[in-house]
Amino acid sequence: MRGRVAGLAIGLIFGVTLSWSGMTSPDVIRAALLFEQSYLFLFFAAAVLTATSGTWLLRRIGFRALFTGQRVTWTQDRPARRHIVGSLIFGLGWGIADACPGPIATQVGQGIAWALWTLGGVIIGVVLFLRRQEPETEPATDTLPATAAEPAHVRA
Amino acid sequence: MLHHQLAWYIAGPVLGLCVIVVRALFNARLGVTGGYSELVGKAMARSLRVDWRGWFLIGVVLGGTVFAVVAGGPDFHGYGWLTRTFHGGAQALIAPILLIAGVLIGYGAKVAGGCTSGNGLSGNALLSPASLAATATFFGTAIVVSFVIKAII
Repeated sequence: MRGRVAGLAIGLIFGVTLSWSGMTSPDVIRAALLFEQSYLFLFFAAAVLTATSGTWLLRRIGFRALFTGQRVTWTQDRPARRHIVGSLIFGLGWGIADACPGPIATQVGQGIAWALWTLGGVIIGVVLFLRRQEPETEPATDTLPATAAEPAHVRA
Repeated sequence: MLHHQLAWYIAGPVLGLCVIVVRALFNARLGVTGGYSELVGKAMARSLRVDWRGWFLIGVVLGGTVFAVVAGGPDFHGYGWLTRTFHGGAQALIAPILLIAGVLIGYGAKVAGGCTSGNGLSGNALLSPASLAATATFFGTAIVVSFVIKAII
C-alpha cells in the first residue's frame, strides 16, 4: 500500500516537472535534437549528475531501502545486442513523435488528443514484447541471488 | 511551448531526486517504460494488483493534468512538425504515423530494458555500461532521424 502511494506521489512530481520543463512539447524536443536549443541537454545532464551523486552516496553509506530493508546495491550490465537494437528502434520512434514514454503520458494527462495515438502505439509495442515471453528486462527491484550479490559489494 | 519554462538547473535535479527517492525506498530503478509494462502486463493477466511502477505511471499522467489545470491549458497546440507539415486531407496521415512511432517507442524501449528514464536517467546513474550504450544509441538515432525529417520536409 505505502509503496503504491509513494509511486503515485513520485509520479506526480515527475509528471509536473516534465510538463513544466517543456519536455511535453514536441517542438521543444525537436529543437534540441536539431541542436537549436541546449535546454534538453543541460536538463538531462543535471538530472543524471544529481541521480548519480545521490545513488552512489546511498550505497557508500550502506543505506537500507526503507520499504524493502535491502542494502542499496545494483548490478552494472554489460552492453548486449538488445540494448543497441532496442535503442535504435526506440530512437527512431522518438525522433518521429518527438516524445518518449514519460512525455507521452504527460501529454495525455494534459489533454492532448493526438497523444492518444502515440499512447496506443506504446501499448501495442509493450504487448508485442510481452507476448514474446522474454525474461523481464526491467526488474522491479535489483534483487540479486545471494552469490551474485557479492561482487557488487566488493566493488563498492 | 506556451507556458513559462522551469529553469533546467531546477527541473533536472528534481528528476534526479525522484531517481534517488525510488532507490532509497525500493532499491529499484525508476523507469517510465517499467510503468507501462506493469500496467499492460497486469491487464493481460486480468489482474488489478498493480505495483508501485504502475502507480508511478498513473502519477505521471496525473502530473500532466495538474500542470494543465494550474497553467490554464496544455503546453502546446497541434502536434509539432506533423501538424505543420500535413494539412487538409493529408492530416489523416498523422494518426498512423504517431501510432507506428508509438509501437517503435514501446517495443524498442522494452527490448533495450529502458527508455530515456530507465536507461537514460536511472541506468546512467549506476554508471551501467549497457545504459550508457543505450543512451548514446537512442540519442544518436533520434538526432539523425530529426535531421533526415528536416531534409525531407
